[in-house]
Amino acid sequence: MPLRPARVGRVGVIGAPVAKTAVVAKAVTPGPAPVAKTAVVAAAVTPGRRRRI
Amino acid sequence: MTDTSLDELGPVDYVVVEFPAGASNFTGEMVKELLALVNAGTIRVIDILILTKDDDGAVEATELSDVGELGELQALEAQLAELLAEEDVEHLAAAMEPGTTAGVLIWENLWAAPFAAAARRSGGQLIANGRIPIQAIIASIEADEELTEGD
Repeated sequence: MPLRPARVGRVGVIGAPVAKTAVVAKAVTPGPAPVAKTAVVAAAVTPGRRRRI
Repeated sequence: MTDTSLDELGPVDYVVVEFPAGASNFTGEMVKELLALVNAGTIRVIDILILTKDDDGAVEATELSDVGELGELQALEAQLAELLAEEDVEHLAAAMEPGTTAGVLIWENLWAAPFAAAARRSGGQLIANGRIPIQAIIASIEADEELTEGD
């Protein structure tokens, strides 16, 4: 089905061709949850965690 | 849109969610969660398009209103703005694999609008923003662990 006329001939808001975001696609792929990874990430974003510099 | 409403506009994001042929499983769960975010005032949906890329790479865009029976999405569809242009369709479809269908969702983060407006009123200017993939966090942690083990 065609786009509505209002969409045709206008300058877009997405500046350039979009590359596939492989990492996000992988993250939402159905399958067994990566439990170990999840725990590690959860620990990394735990409130109060301080970076080591 | 007035200057005042522009000043109070929250950040606008988009996602393109691809469904490989035969892999889609539409149970209404996505609609339910989307409407929950809208009804809670967390986001405002600005635009939705459904893109289909055939095996030869040709892309077809479908308006939400052309999908058919929208059910609970009917009220949301009536509030959509046609922000995306034909040019955007070409740019977004570049990420799609042939033989897939994708939903494009554009939304305003209403939850962030008051803070963004306050930052602007305080003289701040947005100079960078983005999203950190979970995989990047994992990679960072693993690299950190390797360094620690090497100590």
